[in-house]
Amino acid sequence: MTRGEGSAAWREGGWPRVRGRHLRERGPAPRTIRPRRVLDLLRHVSEVLETVVDPEVAGWSVLVAFTAGEGLGFNRAFLLLAEGDELRGWFGVGPRTRDEARKVWAEMRGADVLPLSQLHEPDHAAIEAEQRRHASMLTALSHVQLKGCNAWRRAFIGRANHPSACVRHWVGVLDSRELAVVPLMTSGRPWGVVLADNFVTHAPIHRATLEAAETLAHYLRAALERTQLLQRLHRERRRRIVAEHATALLETARTLAHDLKNPLALAGGLARELVAALPPEHETLVRQLGIVAGAIGRAEQRVGELVDGLASRAGGIALEPVDVGVLADRVVEAFRPLAVSRHVRLLCDHPARPVVAAAARPSLERCIENLMANALDALSGPGAEIHVVVREEPPWVRIEVADNGQPLPTALRADPFAGGVTTRRGGSGLGLTSVRTLAESMGGRVEYDEREAGWVRFTVVLRRWS
Amino acid sequence: MTGSRLLFVDDEEGFLELYRAAFNRDGYTVDTAVGVDDARARLAAGGIDLVVLDIRLGESSGLALLREIKAADANLPVVLATAYARYQDDFSSWLADAYIVKSSDLGELKQAVARCLETAQ
Repeated sequence: MTRGEGSAAWREGGWPRVRGRHLRERGPAPRTIRPRRVLDLLRHVSEVLETVVDPEVAGWSVLVAFTAGEGLGFNRAFLLLAEGDELRGWFGVGPRTRDEARKVWAEMRGADVLPLSQLHEPDHAAIEAEQRRHASMLTALSHVQLKGCNAWRRAFIGRANHPSACVRHWVGVLDSRELAVVPLMTSGRPWGVVLADNFVTHAPIHRATLEAAETLAHYLRAALERTQLLQRLHRERRRRIVAEHATALLETARTLAHDLKNPLALAGGLARELVAALPPEHETLVRQLGIVAGAIGRAEQRVGELVDGLASRAGGIALEPVDVGVLADRVVEAFRPLAVSRHVRLLCDHPARPVVAAAARPSLERCIENLMANALDALSGPGAEIHVVVREEPPWVRIEVADNGQPLPTALRADPFAGGVTTRRGGSGLGLTSVRTLAESMGGRVEYDEREAGWVRFTVVLRRWS
Repeated sequence: MTGSRLLFVDDEEGFLELYRAAFNRDGYTVDTAVGVDDARARLAAGGIDLVVLDIRLGESSGLALLREIKAADANLPVVLATAYARYQDDFSSWLADAYIVKSSDLGELKQAVARCLETAQ
């Protein structure tokens, strides 16, 4: 097949995927892409990306669409993502050298596999292998975003004489005659870029191909944002689970401490009494010795349970420096829509400088969330306000959540953190208990006061990070 | 103050046995109650000079009983004796006249009892 017989290339497929490699079967890309074919491609990729949960798979899927013969037909494609001031090479698909391309294409010419049909069942090991295979090229492509390198809105063709230093760098590294540069933008800011070329076949890149590439890049950006968000969510969930495990461990330790303290105090106390004055009746002596033996047996049993219990639990709560002001701002902003819907005014005050506490971020976040939810539940009517205030009182950091809602019910005032008391304020009664448990697990405490008339205030007190 | 009548409230019979042995020997009259209901009944009968109260009483809370006792007779001294040191920071425990963490050495408890009885005189 020669250039100009493009429609046949699309029909017969291009880069069969075998053993993790994407191989071009037919060679040159089509001269132009038929609109119908583009729509089919976009629909197919869109359907694939809807189910992808992994950023690597999203990147791989779209780059395969760039390079597949039944896709955009590029010889190779690379994805670079913005990290700070740098555009860093992240993923690549296609042969690395002309020799490699010719060899692989020759080997695969007879294979009856269409790469796009493989997208629904990605092979994660092969994707990782592909990423490793291009590692050195991706490193070489990474480049600081210089002036003019981040102002692109549309895809374009870059050549060696391009005014942008980034483009000249990429063209040089890839030894490309023509390089498709497809920016990934979000809210007018550069998010990344896809680079693709036909370094073996030298097939020209047409306008229609660039337009289709732009749409694919748009899909890719959305998929990456979504999958990265999902990953973050999973990470947060895991951290929460660890924090909850730590809390449960603390509760277990507390219970065990009580279970040990009681029998030891009892056995020791009775033994001292027996030493001080033996009871005259044999029956009393036997009973008291029986109590001592029973108490020691109970303590021994609990120690055994403690050893077994600790062996079955992994990890504990790890304290780290947490900028409490930033965290408080984030939680308050997360609650703002709900507060607005209930006509509640939210205020968050903290010093401009970082106020850093020794805390477990998920645990502290959970504390503030619970206190905010508790405050919101207590508010109704005009003038409702919640004030979140972060103060530094060395060696402590105080995080106050105060509201001007209904006062704490009498049932809760005696011990607001005891749990089990269900009222509108306090929900299941476990929220405040959880706050205390979490605060204590971080070496802190929680306080409650109604000193200021009309205001109910809960304060989480944590050690300042030093 | 020897001769005084003490009520010990604990959900563990062993501790009640210990308190009986130790405080009887010191000349106190010792009453015991194994739970909240038993304690209420004993208090209603009258004649108690001081209560030594555990916080964890099975499913019941000694702190709730403490509030009941103080509501009925604010002058009746109550000593909290528990394995939990953390209840010391719980303001509902501040109603008590003394707070003792249980120990095999009853010296601190005996001192607290004597001090509270003297104050109540």
